[in-house]
Amino acid sequence: MNEQEIIDITNKVFEESFEIEKDRLKPEAHIFTDLGLDSLDIVDLVAALQKSFGVNIRNEEKVRNIRTLQDIYQFISAIKKEGQ
Amino acid sequence: MKRVVITGAGSISPLGSGVRSLMEGIASGTSAVRYMEEWAGYCGMNSHVAAPAELKDEKKIPRQSRRSMGRMSIFAAQAAEQALADSGINISQVQPDRMGCIIGSTTGSAISISKAFEIMLFKKDLSLLPSSMFFQCMSHSAAINVAQYLGLTGYVMATSAACASSLQAIGTGFEIISSGKQDVLLCGGAEELHPSVTGSFDVVFATSSKYNQTPHQTPRPFDKDRDGLVCGEGSGIVVLEDYEHAVRRNAKIYAEIIGYNTCGSGAHISQSDDKSIIRCIKGALNNAEITPDEIDYINAHATGTIQGDKEEASAIREIFGDTVPVSSLKGHMGHTLGASGAIELIACLLMMDKGVIYPTLNLDEAASDCSGINHVAKPVKKEIRTVLKNCFAFGGINAALVCRKH
Repeated sequence: MNEQEIIDITNKVFEESFEIEKDRLKPEAHIFTDLGLDSLDIVDLVAALQKSFGVNIRNEEKVRNIRTLQDIYQFISAIKKEGQ
Repeated sequence: MKRVVITGAGSISPLGSGVRSLMEGIASGTSAVRYMEEWAGYCGMNSHVAAPAELKDEKKIPRQSRRSMGRMSIFAAQAAEQALADSGINISQVQPDRMGCIIGSTTGSAISISKAFEIMLFKKDLSLLPSSMFFQCMSHSAAINVAQYLGLTGYVMATSAACASSLQAIGTGFEIISSGKQDVLLCGGAEELHPSVTGSFDVVFATSSKYNQTPHQTPRPFDKDRDGLVCGEGSGIVVLEDYEHAVRRNAKIYAEIIGYNTCGSGAHISQSDDKSIIRCIKGALNNAEITPDEIDYINAHATGTIQGDKEEASAIREIFGDTVPVSSLKGHMGHTLGASGAIELIACLLMMDKGVIYPTLNLDEAASDCSGINHVAKPVKKEIRTVLKNCFAFGGINAALVCRKH
């Protein structure tokens, strides 16, 4: 899976699960302050990312450090590489 | 004691969204009952008819408010918004701790509960549970969702009393405002269709099963060919308000609630009985300080079951004889269960306003065990000053409310 695929799949999660318009999905967008997610949404975000990428990240400590979309892209990329 | 008036109404019913659709459907004698193809796969289900409401415009509710709402809570939120708009109340102009809501239902969202069980029992994977699933399943789901969505910060309560839920909510709201503890309460109920809901009646042979191929002919309240109830869904919400509060803001007043009573039968878990219904209605009349001859119209619970209609007719006959017009609206929209008391009360308010009583749809010939009361067979023009609304529920719960035109 290349970087662009990770970006596309992640953005699709935000569009479908959180009803956020495509043009707001900038890498630097802060998922809380810019995209309006809250603590409950993070639970659903983790579940949606797990399903979309076929990974298990529910108990990953690093999830707590995610702030921007770019953080998610990098986090998923790292997890995928670890998996390989 | 404070006087309590109804200053707003909203409904999502099998007859459509909004009070106007509800009344147009009733006035035109429309049946919203249809064959439920999607229930064909349920083994042992006798009844394959229901009266669905249309879920629409739900995305107008912001996602973070909507995520904790099951189908019935969306109905409740939409009906509450309608009621609030109808009342003309601006929430910011009411003292925050003096305005709330009481909204009842049989359970939380039946669809969401079913999905949660599928995950817990079959997939056994908690990571598949959406974060807001529990908020959709809780018994007070409709009440908390309406309160959060509208920003109501006074009393927030739920009356979970199956088919008497919304009339208990309105009656409880009446008592709380009467006592001076709240100024404004959005009260009513909500319910949603699901095979498990119809199934709860089907297993005790209380559903209609002979009209699966002719759904518009059922349910048949009080009729000689009635064979059971048909489940419906939706929400009805009324705005209850302290009379002086309403007058101060020059509000439109539909009616004043003048009496309420609720009681248990202590007789049987599923079968209603005339003795406790009589006790309930007499208690409501006493609370209203009126005599039976002052009631102009009785909106019956009458769902079309063999046993329930007989007991209600017997109770009405005992108290009112054959003088007071009686009709049931279940023939039009089935039994909307926890929402029925509120939706049907709203219809009564509009009948009062219009001076017309609508008949019981599908009541072609009154059954001998339901005779001796004044069945309304066609629309009757009449000044309606005082209305009695009945609701009865599984568990032997009775509720009766008396409203007077303002």
